[in-house]
Amino acid sequence: MTALKIDRLNKVYTDTYSGEEVTAIADVSFTVREGEFVSVLGPSGCGKTTVLNIVAGFVRQSGGTVVVDGRPVDGPGPDRGVVFQSHALFPWKTVLGNVVFGLRMRGVPRAERNATAEEFLKLVGLDGFAHRYPHELSGGMQQRLGVARVLANEPAVMLMDEPFASIDAQTRRKLQEDLTGIFESRRPTVFFVTHDVDEAVFLSDRIVVLSRRPSRVREIVDVTLPRPRRWQETAELPEFRRIANQVNDLLAGDENEAADGGARAGDAGGEPGAA
Amino acid sequence: MTSTASPTREKRTGRGPGRHGRGARRGLAWRMWRRCLRSGTFRTLGPFVPVVALWWLLDALEVFPESFFVGPPTVVDKLGELLEKGILPGYLSDSLTRLGYGVGFGLLIGLPLGFAVAMSRMVRRAFWPILLFFQAVADIAWLPIVIVWFGFSLTTVTFVLVYTIVFPLMLSVVAGVEQVPRELVRAARSLGAGRLRVFLEVIVPGALPSVAGGIRTGLGYGWRALVAAEIIVGTSGIGFMMFDARRVGDVSQVFLGMAVLGALWYALDALILAPFERATVERWGMVRAMEADG
Ligand SMILES: Nc1ncnc2c1ncn2[C@@H]1O[C@H](COP(=O)(O)OP(=O)(O)O)[C@@H](O)[C@H]1O
Ligand SMILES: [Mg+2]
Repeated sequence: MTALKIDRLNKVYTDTYSGEEVTAIADVSFTVREGEFVSVLGPSGCGKTTVLNIVAGFVRQSGGTVVVDGRPVDGPGPDRGVVFQSHALFPWKTVLGNVVFGLRMRGVPRAERNATAEEFLKLVGLDGFAHRYPHELSGGMQQRLGVARVLANEPAVMLMDEPFASIDAQTRRKLQEDLTGIFESRRPTVFFVTHDVDEAVFLSDRIVVLSRRPSRVREIVDVTLPRPRRWQETAELPEFRRIANQVNDLLAGDENEAADGGARAGDAGGEPGAA
Repeated sequence: MTSTASPTREKRTGRGPGRHGRGARRGLAWRMWRRCLRSGTFRTLGPFVPVVALWWLLDALEVFPESFFVGPPTVVDKLGELLEKGILPGYLSDSLTRLGYGVGFGLLIGLPLGFAVAMSRMVRRAFWPILLFFQAVADIAWLPIVIVWFGFSLTTVTFVLVYTIVFPLMLSVVAGVEQVPRELVRAARSLGAGRLRVFLEVIVPGALPSVAGGIRTGLGYGWRALVAAEIIVGTSGIGFMMFDARRVGDVSQVFLGMAVLGALWYALDALILAPFERATVERWGMVRAMEADG
């Protein structure tokens, strides 16, 4: 079953002051199957967030279609839960209040939603913190709460925009492993945006590699690594390095093409930093 | 799955067994001093000790003639006398009633209007120029015409107070709504909240830090406008008491009035405003606590 279908997506931003037009997304198409973990990877500024915002319904596309669970996207909705890089937790609600928010909006009775909340707080390792406020949690714990808040609402697809980018390296690895564990046990459909190659390879079933802006799909790479995945073992696999190298080459190839095309006139003096 | 970090914070020092490296002799006095510093009474009244001492000193040295400047004992005597006669309680309750009406209606009008202006571009476009125009007409400048309309009545004072409170309140609501992070609204929408729920559960609490500040500012302005209005409208109240005392040359009542105004405002802040902010904005971690160990 296809959970998310993006077809010939195109987005042109118009600058409000100068009236200048910027094509953020030229032409992007791909699908995400139900229970699949798909990452969108590309250089910074290539339009990854824009794609995610269009799928979330926060931003309207200039062309193309996005279909979630058979319905074309029109504005934000609970079928597409979003985990933000900035966490975007409600500071005036406790951990519990944040997790049950979506259920409350749907009118789920209190006893039922508290039971669900307990289940998902446990899933992300936040049991015992239900009555804390978000600012009392560490960055890593805040993002676990962000994940629990979305999963408790059982969306058709969970959208994540560089959710671990603002978290220190050690904690980030742990969070990636925990996210993989959650994915492996519950199989939600995940659309994950990142610019970190290793992160994408470690987490994903498939990686959609975007070109520089105006972005197109450069290639969709299958990640055939076995699950369950753990950093220690998975990163050791030859297959892991092979895929990571392949993705790196795709990104680098994009750079070279741009340079060959004369787009980077300033670099004409040769390769900087060559030993 | 285990949590990565515990949120427990460093407990305040000074509690529990004494720290190393401090002699026993100094220990006791030091601990009593620390306890004294921590006590609520001391923290509330302590800062006023030097002020009152200076006041007392100026009076004792007779720097100014007595018809110009009276000391704490005279003011305390006056306080006792006016309390006994029932004048001060009467005036005080008049002033507080007016403040209550003014603030009540001010909030009732200012909050909904502020949110309407903040939420709707159309309302804002229609209201903003009017808002700026009338904000420029100072509250007291309305008194002459309002007295013509309503006479020397409670309505007149209430009108001026409401006028004073509404504008800073509305501006703070608009600023508060604007500073709600866009991602919080987006998060709520993608969790299934409709526009009304987004307003009630995200916009209103998100705007609260700014709105609380606006209420504080509005009340402060209102309190001052009240005294000014009482001086001009002049039938009763603390402001009237002070002005009337000046007329008959009783400086001690003027001093008493000033002390009462300051003390009342301080009490209002300490008993209502500050606890409200502690229970909301500070508890949610939306602003840093004003005092390091509050
Ligand atoms: N609201 C906007 N208005 C104008 N330009 C925008 C807007 N949002 C993003 N852009 C531009 O579109 C491009 C893609 O941005 P974004 O989707 O944030 O990229 P990424 O997430 O891959 O870093 C960037 O060049 C950015 O400047
Ligand atoms: Mg981005």
